[in-house]
Amino acid sequence: MAVETAAPSTKQIARRRRFFSKQDKVTLGFFIGIPTFLHLSLVWIPAIATIALSFTYWTGIRLEDIVWAGTANYENIFFNTPIFWEAIRVNTIWLLWFFFIATPLGVLLAYQIDREIRGHKIYQSAYFLPVVLSLAVTGIIWNFLLRPDGFVNGLLGLPISEAVSFFGDDRYNIWVIMIMASWRHIGYIMLLYLAGLKAVDSALREAATIDGATEWQSFRKVVFPAMRPVNIIVIVITIIESLRAFDMVYIIYGSSGGLPILGVLVFNNIAGEGASMKGAAYAVILFLLSIVPIITYLQQQFSEDNK
Amino acid sequence: MLNKISNHEVDRRLVLKGAAAGGLGIAGATMLAGCASGTGPVSFGARTVDESPTIQLKGLVDAYTAKTGNEVTYNATESNAFQNNLSQYLQGTPDDCFQWMAGFRMQFFAAQDLLVDISDVWDEIGDQYNESYKIASTGLDGKQYFVPQSWYPWGLHFRKSMMAEIGMNPEDIYNWDDFMGALAELKGQGLIGLAAADKGGWEAMGTFDILNARINGYQFHVDLLGGREKWTDDRVREVFRHWEMLLPYQNTNVLDLEWDGAMQLLLQRQAGFFMNGSWFGGNFLEQSQEDYDDLMIVPFPEINPDHGRDTVDAPIDGFCVAKNGSNNDGGKDLIKFAGDMEGVQAMLDTGIPMTSANNGQDRSTYDAFQNAQLAVMNEAKYITQFLDRDTRPDFAGPVVGPAFQSWFKDPSSTDSILESLQSQWDALPPL
Amino acid sequence: MTTMIKIPENKTKKKLHAQQIKDRIISIFIGIFALVWVFPIVWTLWSSLRPYAEIRAGGVFSPPQELGIFNYTEAMERMDLPLYFANTALITLPAVFLILLFGSLIAFVVTRYSFRFNVAMLLLFTAGNMLPPQLVFIPVFKMYLALGDLFGDRRLLYDNHWGVVLIHVAFQMGFATFVLSSYMKTIPKEISESAMVDGASVFTHYFRVMLPLLRPPLASLGVLMITWIYNDFFWALVLMSNDSKRPITSALGRLQGEFVTDYNLLAAGAMIAALPTLIVFFVLRKQFVGGLTLGSTKG
Repeated sequence: MAVETAAPSTKQIARRRRFFSKQDKVTLGFFIGIPTFLHLSLVWIPAIATIALSFTYWTGIRLEDIVWAGTANYENIFFNTPIFWEAIRVNTIWLLWFFFIATPLGVLLAYQIDREIRGHKIYQSAYFLPVVLSLAVTGIIWNFLLRPDGFVNGLLGLPISEAVSFFGDDRYNIWVIMIMASWRHIGYIMLLYLAGLKAVDSALREAATIDGATEWQSFRKVVFPAMRPVNIIVIVITIIESLRAFDMVYIIYGSSGGLPILGVLVFNNIAGEGASMKGAAYAVILFLLSIVPIITYLQQQFSEDNK
Repeated sequence: MLNKISNHEVDRRLVLKGAAAGGLGIAGATMLAGCASGTGPVSFGARTVDESPTIQLKGLVDAYTAKTGNEVTYNATESNAFQNNLSQYLQGTPDDCFQWMAGFRMQFFAAQDLLVDISDVWDEIGDQYNESYKIASTGLDGKQYFVPQSWYPWGLHFRKSMMAEIGMNPEDIYNWDDFMGALAELKGQGLIGLAAADKGGWEAMGTFDILNARINGYQFHVDLLGGREKWTDDRVREVFRHWEMLLPYQNTNVLDLEWDGAMQLLLQRQAGFFMNGSWFGGNFLEQSQEDYDDLMIVPFPEINPDHGRDTVDAPIDGFCVAKNGSNNDGGKDLIKFAGDMEGVQAMLDTGIPMTSANNGQDRSTYDAFQNAQLAVMNEAKYITQFLDRDTRPDFAGPVVGPAFQSWFKDPSSTDSILESLQSQWDALPPL
Repeated sequence: MTTMIKIPENKTKKKLHAQQIKDRIISIFIGIFALVWVFPIVWTLWSSLRPYAEIRAGGVFSPPQELGIFNYTEAMERMDLPLYFANTALITLPAVFLILLFGSLIAFVVTRYSFRFNVAMLLLFTAGNMLPPQLVFIPVFKMYLALGDLFGDRRLLYDNHWGVVLIHVAFQMGFATFVLSSYMKTIPKEISESAMVDGASVFTHYFRVMLPLLRPPLASLGVLMITWIYNDFFWALVLMSNDSKRPITSALGRLQGEFVTDYNLLAAGAMIAALPTLIVFFVLRKQFVGGLTLGSTKG
């Protein structure tokens, strides 16, 4: 083992300590190598493969059947598939709803709970409860409320034949899904923001209050700006979750087109009997749409790490 | 009788491709000469988790085990999950013998080299079936890949007691005007005329099929699904024009109900008619014997006298053997048993009503409902398998299903929907 | 820096009082909403205690004649719970363990040593975490089968709980890495430096020095990961062909088909499926927020 025998400052030692023993090198190799290998082989390489496959015709069954298709799948999607645009519309509404309604509510909730208003312990649990439920269970629970023979239709006194079609009627179904998704999302954001709030220097907040600011002013001018890294995380998660939503809609609609969203379109076209690489193209579109927040986030990480 | 099940009219191109794929079933054909039992443990994949069919299938596999001593692992998956996953299932680790459907859905996977050629099994049990069933079990290359289990027609179901109360006799309904009159009468009584569902995206295909066959005839229907006729044809518009006439007599929440929801409407006496496949008789029986005895079926009315009531959707359910299963021989053995009268009898012995494809089933034991189903079948000259089994799978599920759902949301958008259907068909990759 | 400003006492008291009233109102408001929030769960619970036949006969608001846990006993009989919960454990526990292990290893190397690739690694993992799962599904499926064929057993990874474990690990590692590296940045460099001066190997540095300090975030992450993986629906659905190997949440889809005519029974089934996460939640409430550090704004 190479050890610096001279006695410079500890910082210098740490910096110069690039001479790792053989044993150390092996350890580091394993420490980094195994996780990275797993991550690359099961996430990145398949992702690249799917991107490549989106330019082919293929049923997904026999490798020898792969035929180059150029941009045909994409043209098909953009010019020939009305349900794609419906899905874009739904995902956009989802994004806007999450961004302007659900996430801000989660943030405000976190702030109030962090301030330890009366009952905050119970509230925290209540709002977080939906987050620990699986989306399948969530779908079943809400289906219960909104079925033709469920709670709401019962409240309205309607028999099955005249029941309000919460999931089938385009006027209602998207808002119903938004509420269901928010039910979970708000608690999730609340949790993340609470974690972030704990890291904010409490002295900073005390100072703001002593200065005579109201709570709202204190939040807006002091706490919120100080939470910049967490804000970015929350924004990125909001965007990503709204774009790649799948589970909740699948449990209610299966793979039918009742409420088209990108996640279900991918699944519908890439799995099952009707599999084609149109599904891969959908997946790539989904990926590209998500990449903006991902890159933004990475940039912010990068700049922070360079400080 | 059921002697005119027409094969899905296939492009020459498809047949040639199937033949060129080569190596189909040669490996499997070498065996089967004699070795019946002793093929070891077999796995069986059921496409349903519902109570009644499960009892039937378990009866089948138990009888097989009793006869041959071979252990059967029974794996059941819910039907939607099974269908959505079939491609992966067959490529990966499928059961040796599994439940599937006839039609292009089966031929497609046979052509992909995922099913075992069982022509030799047919050589042994073929005499128990009508020629038409053999045709329905044949792949694009002329070999058999499927053994039928049971069939059921799609028709107008109703409750005898309800009709008696209202004073209506559905057997008298012969043509469209009669039918419209009956629906209006039902509406007048505060009932839903025709219960309908389409939340799953496939239910409404039954209605489309029958309207198209009635208005434009069997040949046009088959040609349309095969891509030889266009969706933008005026004849298809005519179908939607008639369909729109049915809408006022349906429940308003069609897109919120799956088939079982619409069935509930009939079960709970809120609807007069239910256009569906007769399989749900089992569900009625689960409710009570009286409910089952109350159930009856008549064919969908004639619309175009040129075609009368000569076509019926009568999907055939049955079994296949998966190439990638671990025990192909065992799978073939089991499928032979299932197709043979011995297996059929085992299923019948469970007491669950079944309309078997096998000639050996004593039709005199049919109850009234089954006889009525048979009557519907007999009246038809042509039999189709249902839209999502008769056309390309990458068209039926992803394209037609959502298209029909959008039509329900806006029935005036027929023209744009038809144009979109045609252009999406045109954009499909060559098979 | 704080600037002390002298504010007349009355004004401060008034402001405080006004704020207190506001807080009361806020608290009540949030409280009412909290009730609305849990109502769906309560309703499902309520329905699971009633026989569906009653609902069908009299509607959802019919006065209850029969209340009991019969739906639960029937669901337990028909659901084969031990099997599905065992499947869930077989997937969740190894996955969480590996995620925490790998995440901490990467975070450790990246924060405690200055290599040139550190930032790139971090970016790689956190970006990977954000990719939509549907993007990778077909190649992963093919890969699993091909690997299986290579080793002579198709079920090596496909239709095997290890296959599902590995894909979860690959995807969730990024989040764990991120949280743990954020946390580790708050651990003073001096600890590592003195360890290195003392001649500790990398191995010892990790296991003896850093790991014991990571208890809070590991506990927190562990609890979150258990919840997420337990609740996963997609991977077990597509990477397993045998229903009896699937975890309980994928099995719920099956229940939807099986109990199609008895929705209250399905409610009981859903409640049973939700039970483990609910228990984890109530018992380990503190851990959820406790050890999570997302970016530090200290210093």
